Amino acid sequence: MSLKESREPTDGDLVRKARKGEAEAFGLLVERHQRAAYAVALSVTGRPEDAEDAAQESFLVALERLEECRSPDRFAGWMMTIVRNRSRNLVRREALRGTEQVPASARTGEPTPDVATEISELRQVLETALSRIPEVHRQIVMLHDLEGWKHREIAQLLELPSGTVRSHLHFARKALRQELSKTAVGADTIRKIR
Amino acid sequence: MSEADKRRPVPEGTDELDREMDMASLLAALDPAAVDRQFWVRFHVRVLKDAAPELARRRLMIQLTVEDVMTSWARTVIPTAVLAAALAGLLLFRGHSAPSPALVGVEELLLAEVEGTTIPGTLAADEVIAPVSFASEGF
Repeated sequence: MSLKESREPTDGDLVRKARKGEAEAFGLLVERHQRAAYAVALSVTGRPEDAEDAAQESFLVALERLEECRSPDRFAGWMMTIVRNRSRNLVRREALRGTEQVPASARTGEPTPDVATEISELRQVLETALSRIPEVHRQIVMLHDLEGWKHREIAQLLELPSGTVRSHLHFARKALRQELSKTAVGADTIRKIR
Repeated sequence: MSEADKRRPVPEGTDELDREMDMASLLAALDPAAVDRQFWVRFHVRVLKDAAPELARRRLMIQLTVEDVMTSWARTVIPTAVLAAALAGLLLFRGHSAPSPALVGVEELLLAEVEGTTIPGTLAADEVIAPVSFASEGF
């Protein structure tokens, strides 16, 4: 273990400090897990603006219920369970309201240089492709391939055997490739993103 | 590798080998920072801003010492106890000052305001006993 690693507080340390109201510790927890929270929320809601709301709300709910986190070192899994539940509630609420989906082009609110436009197009294609695969597949592929979670961590979060996670991941990628191959997403776009 | 990829924690172990970089690059388009570089900064600021009241409440709870808790209890408990004691004293005092009821014997109570003679007195008297009829009752 390097010196840097040994000095870095664990999630458990941060949770214990956040329970005492230390804003810096809570801020670090948010910084560490905001991307994964958003990815999980997006995999459930399928809409970036809802994913953002759900992820944000989830951090606040997590802070209010921090005493319920029995294993502070496993904060990530506990947090993502909150994100999933909040996102599902949001989807239910939206379904009841019958909200129209906002077009992807209106979401960014940014000037659209060429690359940004292509990314937005690709994003739209990906969102559509992801919406066609099961929720559990979406969560696994996004947490693994986008956020770099390990099979074991995803397995803990979703309460699935590690082998099942691998299998789901395989099918999710295959389905995504099939969906993407149906669209006009060019290799150029992929190269530019890299 | 995109900026978002650089900031993302690199996982340990063998999973990284299994992570398909093409797929990761594709999915990176879903990262809001791909089109809005300040997205995560704003997200972070917004969450912390919304969390500020709860964090402040937690800090306040920690600052409260045992003495503070006892003092806050004393503020309500002591006046209540004093009031209860005063009420009890008042009731006790009023109880003593009330006139005690006169003691009356049972015999006396039975004979009070009863006219005529008692059964033994009647039996002892030399009077002609009038015919007595008994009524029988059947049950």
